[in-house]
Amino acid sequence: MGIVIAVISGKGGVGKTTATANLGLGIALNDKKCVVVDFDIGQRNLDMILGLENRVVYDIVQVMDGDASVKQALIKSKVNDNLFFLAASQSKDKTVLESEKVQKLVVALKEDFDFVILDAPAGIESGYEHTIEFADAAIVVVNPEVSSIRDADRAIGILDSKSYKVKNGEEVAKYLIINRIDADMVQKGEMLKSEDILEILSVKLLGKVPEDKGVIDASNQGKPVILDKKSVAGQAYMRIASRLCGKKVDMKDIEVANSGFFSKLSGMFR
Amino acid sequence: MFGFFKRKKSASVAKDRLTIAIMSDRDRTNAYPFMDEMKAEIIEVVKKYIGVKGVEIKKEIDGDLEALSIDVELDKETIVKA
Repeated sequence: MGIVIAVISGKGGVGKTTATANLGLGIALNDKKCVVVDFDIGQRNLDMILGLENRVVYDIVQVMDGDASVKQALIKSKVNDNLFFLAASQSKDKTVLESEKVQKLVVALKEDFDFVILDAPAGIESGYEHTIEFADAAIVVVNPEVSSIRDADRAIGILDSKSYKVKNGEEVAKYLIINRIDADMVQKGEMLKSEDILEILSVKLLGKVPEDKGVIDASNQGKPVILDKKSVAGQAYMRIASRLCGKKVDMKDIEVANSGFFSKLSGMFR
Repeated sequence: MFGFFKRKKSASVAKDRLTIAIMSDRDRTNAYPFMDEMKAEIIEVVKKYIGVKGVEIKKEIDGDLEALSIDVELDKETIVKA
């Protein structure tokens, strides 16, 4: 029996889908069986990030409506046999989701996979609520920026009131990924520090991901950045994925600029 | 602010603004998850006796004291049991 994790953000464009794709692949690289599911009905994107857009035949709405089986709709990753993908519907819109059907799908996936990762749509409307409803845990992705953090707090609030687990008196575990950190800006006091963000949102830290131009290059090619061993963001995702798989990986302090003597010197005067 | 004095770093400005904005967001929206259900039930109870247009529940905080104020807007036209 696997665990269901919803990847949420509130605000769009913070790297939620990128995080989903990379964590999914990172978990698979840790030899766990993982399925990533695109819940962003009407705005399918995870297929592009994974480089699987040409393989989509059936989508989750067809599975939920009984027009296709889970087996038919699952797409295997090109790069790892442990990773599978379920596409969002592109023609329907977010309002088609129904609680009972979502639950049935999620329960079926849990039977076969160690990790079921749901990529939530941006916003906090019904599509989002259906994504979080049957999740055991949530990963909140934020950028160190005011609108992202504020919207994340709203999304967390809805998670805490609408989740099936919470309604049944249990707790939904919440973990934070801070994405697109610019160490220089943090050092100059121009970007929020992780500890401040954690204090404001009061959630546990899962990991920090530095700003990395390689992310766009990777998505251009449909190859998640985690495959690029030299990419700092890819390395960060690998650390996070390993943590999710129960390995002890120290938090790397990516907020300290590591670019040589000069920045270290200026760091001494803070 | 004023040129020669050390300007407050924008990250700490962000922290202060966010803390306040989020506190007021939380108060307004998810003070209690059961708020909608409670509202509906109150309306049902009041309706047994007198017409009701709507119910407004506000959370007020005064220092350590937290209170819920419940405003029931009556509909005088439809008095059920007088």
